[in-house]
Amino acid sequence: MFQNRAEGLALALPAALFAALVFLVPVVLLLSEGFRNADQWTLSAYVDFFSQPLNRTVFLRTLKLSALVTLVAAVIGYAAAYAIVSLPPGAKGRMVGLVVLPLMISPVARTYAWIVILGRTGIINQALQAIGLTDEPIRILFSETAIFIGLLQLFLPLMIISLISALENLPRDVVPAARVLGAGWLSVFWKIILPLTKEGLVIGGTLVFTGSMTAYITPAILGGSKVLMLETLLYQQVTVSNNFVAASVIAFILIVMSFAANILLKRIASARRSGK
Amino acid sequence: MIRRLFTPLTLFLMMLFLIGPFLIIVAASFSAGETLAFPPQGFSFRWIIKVFTIESFRQSFGVSMFLAIGGTLAALILGIPASYAMSRYRLPFAETVRFLVSMPIIVPGIIVGLALLRYFVIPVGMSVTLALFVAHTALILPYAVRVVSASLANLRADIEEAAVILGSSRLGAFFRVVLPNIRGGILSAFILGFVTSFNQVPVSLFLSGPGVRTLPIDMLGYMENVFDPSIAALSSLLAFLSIGIVFAAERFLGFSRYV
Amino acid sequence: MKKTLLTTASVLMLASGVAQAEDKTLTISVYAFAQDEFKTIVYEPFEKKCGCKLVVETGNSVERLAKMEEHKASPVVDMAVVSMADALAASRKGLIDKVDTAKLSSFNKLYDIAKDPNGDGMSVGYTFYATSIVYRTDKMKIDSWGDLLKDDIVSHVAFPNVTTNQGPPALYMLGQALGTDAPDLKTPIEALGAKKDKVVTFYVKSSQLVQLMQQEEIWAAPVGRFSWAPFTKLGLPLAWATPKEGQTGGMNVMVVTKNSKNRDLALEFMDFWLSTEVQTKLAEKLIDSPANAEVKVSDEVANNITFGADTAKSLKLIPSDVALDYRDKWLSEWNSKVGQ
Repeated sequence: MFQNRAEGLALALPAALFAALVFLVPVVLLLSEGFRNADQWTLSAYVDFFSQPLNRTVFLRTLKLSALVTLVAAVIGYAAAYAIVSLPPGAKGRMVGLVVLPLMISPVARTYAWIVILGRTGIINQALQAIGLTDEPIRILFSETAIFIGLLQLFLPLMIISLISALENLPRDVVPAARVLGAGWLSVFWKIILPLTKEGLVIGGTLVFTGSMTAYITPAILGGSKVLMLETLLYQQVTVSNNFVAASVIAFILIVMSFAANILLKRIASARRSGK
Repeated sequence: MIRRLFTPLTLFLMMLFLIGPFLIIVAASFSAGETLAFPPQGFSFRWIIKVFTIESFRQSFGVSMFLAIGGTLAALILGIPASYAMSRYRLPFAETVRFLVSMPIIVPGIIVGLALLRYFVIPVGMSVTLALFVAHTALILPYAVRVVSASLANLRADIEEAAVILGSSRLGAFFRVVLPNIRGGILSAFILGFVTSFNQVPVSLFLSGPGVRTLPIDMLGYMENVFDPSIAALSSLLAFLSIGIVFAAERFLGFSRYV
Repeated sequence: MKKTLLTTASVLMLASGVAQAEDKTLTISVYAFAQDEFKTIVYEPFEKKCGCKLVVETGNSVERLAKMEEHKASPVVDMAVVSMADALAASRKGLIDKVDTAKLSSFNKLYDIAKDPNGDGMSVGYTFYATSIVYRTDKMKIDSWGDLLKDDIVSHVAFPNVTTNQGPPALYMLGQALGTDAPDLKTPIEALGAKKDKVVTFYVKSSQLVQLMQQEEIWAAPVGRFSWAPFTKLGLPLAWATPKEGQTGGMNVMVVTKNSKNRDLALEFMDFWLSTEVQTKLAEKLIDSPANAEVKVSDEVANNITFGADTAKSLKLIPSDVALDYRDKWLSEWNSKVGQ
């Protein structure tokens, strides 16, 4: 650690100033519009927002879908990350490459691929009909299920990568040792893996949750206006109704929810550790 | 038995889920039909060829390349010293700075775009290109700081302290000792930043203006009116370009170790 | 690192300087539609003619209007094409000026409905289109807008969202089929809301419909005539309905930005676009149906666009002031009945 504060500050200052000037100030100014009515500070815009049943439905749907995507991503993410970490180094590198690969493809194109896959004549429906699970094609597109699938595919790589870096720091013999001593898989996960990888889970979880909540293209294309999410509602408010107050209300709600998710994840992760 | 199957099966299913859509897009690029379909209707290069004949794609590709490369470089120039300061100096406001630069991840893009347009670009009277450049730099900055910080944390501080004690200047120690050791992190940050900027839609939506459009905005605009496999073809071409860049990086610098 | 910084800075200056280098520049704002064709038919010939440079902004009507409003104090755009209702909205917000039609030599050649669509002298129509229903003839028969709500049909329908240009006109016709002419669209929205779970989707982008039709996701959808051409390439038995209530539609118009420094150049450009020659070429490529009455096209072209004085007259258009005054009401009605 170097002690020269002035030097340290001078190094950090440009980035901080830049972020404050071109980012924080404009965003805070815009968000403050949601708390103002003429010249007064007020919460009336928020009361209005939550008094409309549609907005409440959209809010709860966004919360539910984002939480579900995060949870499922965490479960698949642990399995996948554990499998990848136990591979030999060369194969591991290639696997990481494959996991990162979808991030390179425009979300627009990825989302359109799901329209082909999930459609009435798509692969999923053909498979379901072939194995006799259904006679009529079922409708998956333009539903919460479609949004869920699209978001999961979009953000799962972030979770896996976060968990891989966390699992790599796990001492190699801990898990086999616990298994030999008779611990079941569940308790190994709960008592050893989770506490030691909580950092990765918190980072991955926050990225997935925040990403799911603020994604625009995926819910817009796979859900459409039949299944609005907060972000698609926000877009509608800005471009169709020119209602910047309502838009800044939604934006603020999204930001608060991101922070809340981050704090909640941290608490869940540390509660495990103190309970060991 | 179950345990032996666990690893390959998990990986196979997950990869199918992650890569499947990509394969469909690639297949659709070589379709002879008029729409996206799987399996594709026939085989042809017509959509790949069409991508190159659309002039606005060429222009907006240039804009996006400039923003992705220029924005990422600028974010690194701002981000590396800041990350270094936060990890090596006892800073009173380290957490505040960290929080400040990571904000752009949390705020919805369309709000960032609107806020910037209204309270920064118009009052300052900036040109469209500069506005986009500044916005993209701000969006990449969090990734630059996070990844570089992570690789600085893995690098022991006493090496450079030793260099300083042995008579190197602080600046010299940074360039000769620290920088070469975090180049993998810098590269990861570059790739992450590049991808973020290149795929960014909502912020650019408000900031793009007459004559200056980014490629994703152009693609969305194109799709608003025409829905044919040329978008799939363009996306596959871009994906292969990115894969080429990452592969080269991996080859020369061992990128995957730093993710 | 210093070198990189310098390079970046110089590239930046270069990039931002380009726009200012040309002294005679006209900035236009248009739909992101068929831009390659517009470039060869309209933009490049005009640039050659006037010896100036055209800078083009593209996007949908509402997004571009939102940006124009942000730039109100010192406009970047000289001339824009928007929907009829958005033109009225722009005029109410004080974003546009009266069009000096004396300077448009082609003005008298226009169909009457295009001369002053909003009756305020602030806009000139350059193309109009019919809106009706495209449907699978092997699956159904559509004789009325009301057929869309029949039980065996509604679960294969994509209906335009109320926020799109096609939404309100389609709802209006649905209302007519249900026996009401009321501009509040309450009856059709309620009727649609009762079946909202069955409707496949409420679409926002009409280009998506071609894909959905090809996948058999939908068998019928109300669309504007300008998106008809791609459907014909699918090889499916598709038809353009002629419902007994008639067809609706819309018009796109040109406006001149208030405080534009290039007003005369903007008018010159508009006149060029409205000329018989240019309008004919646009019609032949099936891009825009002509608003210029002197345009003559082959029967084959006429059948694929919205052509002719009689057609223009027969379209049941929603007046802009109605569209604008009711917009918020329609949206909240829609959100409470259909959106949830």
